[in-house]
Amino acid sequence: MPYNIAMVSDFFFPQSGGVESHIYQLSSKLIDRGHKVIIITHAYKGRTGVRYLTNGLKIYHVPFFVVYRETTFPTVFSFFPIFRNIVIREEIEIVHGHASLSSFCGEAILHARTMGLRTVFTDHSLFGFADAASILTNKLLKFTLSDVDHAICVSHTCKENTVLRASLDPLMVSVIPNAVVAENFCPLSHTTRAPDQGLGSPADAPMSPRPIGPDDPITIVVISRLFYNKGTDLLIASIPRILASNPNTRFIIAGSGPKAIDLEQMLERNVLQDKVELLGSVRHEEVRDVMVRGDIYLHPSLTEAFGTVIVEAASCGLYVVCTRVGGIPEVLPQHMTTFAKPEEDDIVLATSKAIAALRSNKVRTDRFHDQVKMMYSWRDVAARTERVYEGVIGDISPEEFYGYYPGQGWEASGDRVRSFALIDRLKRYYGCGVWAGKLFCLCVVIDFLIYVFLEMWFPRANIDIARSWPKKPSVSKSRVR
Amino acid sequence: MASPPSLDPLPPPIPVDTHPNRAPGSKSPELQRSLPDPNRLAPGDAYFAPSLSRARSAPTNYEESLRTLSVDNSAHIGSALRKKLGGAGRRRKRKGAWKKLLWVKQSYPDNYTDTETFLDHLQRNPRVRPYDFWPLVADSTVIVQHVCSVVIFICCFVGIVQDRVSPVSIVCWGSVGTAVGWILWDNWIWKEHEESMQSAVGITGGDDGSSSTSFASAVDTPANDAQSGDTKTNAIHGLGLSMSGNESKEQFAHRSADFSESIDAVVNLTAQSAVPSVPGTSDIGTTDPSISQETNGASALSPRNRQRLTTVKSAFLIYFSLLGLSPILKSLTKSTASDSIWAMSCWLLIMNIFSFDYGSGEGAGATTKFPASLSTNAAVMASTVLASRLPSTTHVFSLMLFSMEVFGLFPIFRRQLRQKSWTGHVLLTLTLVIVAGGAVGVTLSGGWAAAIIGSFLGSILTAFVMGGCSWWLISLQKYKNVVIGPWDPARPIIRRHWN
Repeated sequence: MPYNIAMVSDFFFPQSGGVESHIYQLSSKLIDRGHKVIIITHAYKGRTGVRYLTNGLKIYHVPFFVVYRETTFPTVFSFFPIFRNIVIREEIEIVHGHASLSSFCGEAILHARTMGLRTVFTDHSLFGFADAASILTNKLLKFTLSDVDHAICVSHTCKENTVLRASLDPLMVSVIPNAVVAENFCPLSHTTRAPDQGLGSPADAPMSPRPIGPDDPITIVVISRLFYNKGTDLLIASIPRILASNPNTRFIIAGSGPKAIDLEQMLERNVLQDKVELLGSVRHEEVRDVMVRGDIYLHPSLTEAFGTVIVEAASCGLYVVCTRVGGIPEVLPQHMTTFAKPEEDDIVLATSKAIAALRSNKVRTDRFHDQVKMMYSWRDVAARTERVYEGVIGDISPEEFYGYYPGQGWEASGDRVRSFALIDRLKRYYGCGVWAGKLFCLCVVIDFLIYVFLEMWFPRANIDIARSWPKKPSVSKSRVR
Repeated sequence: MASPPSLDPLPPPIPVDTHPNRAPGSKSPELQRSLPDPNRLAPGDAYFAPSLSRARSAPTNYEESLRTLSVDNSAHIGSALRKKLGGAGRRRKRKGAWKKLLWVKQSYPDNYTDTETFLDHLQRNPRVRPYDFWPLVADSTVIVQHVCSVVIFICCFVGIVQDRVSPVSIVCWGSVGTAVGWILWDNWIWKEHEESMQSAVGITGGDDGSSSTSFASAVDTPANDAQSGDTKTNAIHGLGLSMSGNESKEQFAHRSADFSESIDAVVNLTAQSAVPSVPGTSDIGTTDPSISQETNGASALSPRNRQRLTTVKSAFLIYFSLLGLSPILKSLTKSTASDSIWAMSCWLLIMNIFSFDYGSGEGAGATTKFPASLSTNAAVMASTVLASRLPSTTHVFSLMLFSMEVFGLFPIFRRQLRQKSWTGHVLLTLTLVIVAGGAVGVTLSGGWAAAIIGSFLGSILTAFVMGGCSWWLISLQKYKNVVIGPWDPARPIIRRHWN
């Protein structure tokens, strides 16, 4: 049964990134499945008001004060009037927030619960527990997630992290990975190409996979923002050693960031300019064109919740060398990857091993694309997300949704189906901490009062209902296998 | 859209070891299972059994929460739950085991929580060692020493300002002490250097030089028993504060994996310990390795004497430049009001105490949050500021020289003394405490009686503070709860830095 879903996040186009494309792809695939999806984000420069994207995806750009890296200022309550207006106008049933650093998302989940809507939250990132910033973020996340109906994480490691950070019941957290649009990441020699995909693919004739001889040049591609937590230091330290120990290799590095200067200095000091090509930052559409120039993708990141880029690289037919951190080991099968410890020596070793494996033609990189296409697709993600929606709405019985213990008599299971009664909500918030619990309860009570006030001052009856985008004919239904 | 016919079926999924920190053989599974639940982080058991840092799986957690919920029928429900879990296990066998992988299509719902692998890489308090009382007290002597020397400096300044003490006598006593300290230090350094050279030679001549020679073993393996005994005491007494010593040593061992490098490292280490001889003489440090490497080369002066000459030269350089700078320093902050001066010097000295590098020097700067120069600079600036309240250039010169000795040279000597001789370290601490107490007594009321009472009270107070703070720190340890897992950003290990 179709739902009306509102995706809420600070991060959306025109800014580009993993969360943004996740929201877009998930929304458009949900629309394909017959749901109505709107997106609520804050106003970007030159992007305000209500917009429509392809397929009738409606975007509300709410004017808001942006403090840091496109995150809005957390005001807790000031978003409520306009949020309520949008929700009523669009007849929203499920509010789905994305990204734990987005204050928009947290506030929307609070207000949605006050208004009696079901909420889902997707976490895209990993946080530690040690430093002060993490502690603050975790407290806010606990506030957000104390009353959420269900949480979605992009990897199992991410799930463990979120469960610990927000003290959630693990059965209330689903793992639904990211996906890639495999059609956009085809290798050069891809033969079985979709007929409608004319652009972005070279017109060369279908050719057999080129065997790599022992002396053929091997190109290693790195596409990452050059930040500390992306492991740029490891990259800088290992490039000269890789190039020294493996003749006939070269690097292509795309991306920019604060560590770019260090990288350039290293190149100058070792006189490697002719072996390492720096492209600067590339747009997401151009990533594929960069990737297909190489044979190996090196990903030295220090922390990663999912690592979409390595899936993209594998989809382009590259052999992947990556560090064994975060959720990365869950993402790709072992015949596509070589894992390394986040140490300089081990990265050099793993890369050399990968080069040797490619030179000896042990790795069938030409099959990677089709295999990745079978592993990850947004259509699959949308179907699995839809099951979460059915679970929180109650279309699937809680026994089936929450799993394996039917008829259990203990109390925690009663709390999985989150009731909207204010006293129950306050109970959940009160447990968040000695001081924080009371503060959160205060926030919830004020939020409830604001809601009552809004209901009196701006009655529901005066808010117009927006007309939905005309549904596509059921062609899409038949296309779904 | 069907997959192309030529496509191979995917190979069977191989469970991947998902975390680098995982050490599979290190902990027995029984111990892992017997730990309380990971969600409600009880700190006590982490403190009492820090090695059992593995988490238990989720349903046991449920069982536990259930037990706390209803104590009466816990056994009953617990057995029921276990039965259910057994059912789940059977079902899992029928369906095929769940895998912690994302690329496999599994017949489990997305919110399935595997009881065995969930949170199995969680480590709690992995690097925490419980403190012991006496080692902690012993380590706190380092702080006491520094605070006492700061107190002595302040008292000397007050004495100079109030015209009770002649600045020249203070600086004379200080210089005599510095000279004695330098001679001692010089002896130690060269003895240690020769020993390390011998040990390096011994290793080269000796066995194959196994790659696991850590720094410590490289230094003590040859028969210099006195020194190894000292390092032993060091290790015992260094249990409390030098938490990172172990780690850095391991890093060091890793770094000196290559054999030839390990010799190099030993040589470099002595060079490093020779560097902080006199502030402003860093040229000694840079030339030192080359000197030590050409020990056999015949030159007019032995390298030892050459270095002594350099030290004396730089001492004179400092002496004369201070002499020349004194008039400028005297009038530098003359126009500032006195109360601003007192406040500023107070803050600077507090900064000096808090940012001082109390480590044993083995961490080699990698572990210190502040550069050591911050503390020294703060102290020198404090004395510069204070100097403007003094009446004559001689006073200013004396105070500045004395502050150089107290804040620049004395810490180096103290550190070396602590490594060399524990008895000397304790004796020095006692002397400093007594002198500081006496100085405070004299400054406050004057006379020998006050000095004796002051030193007596000061010693007792210091002893109580040391014991009380150590006990407090130990009692705070039960609140320690560090959670580490695969979600933490990995620490990259890099051999060389390109900067």
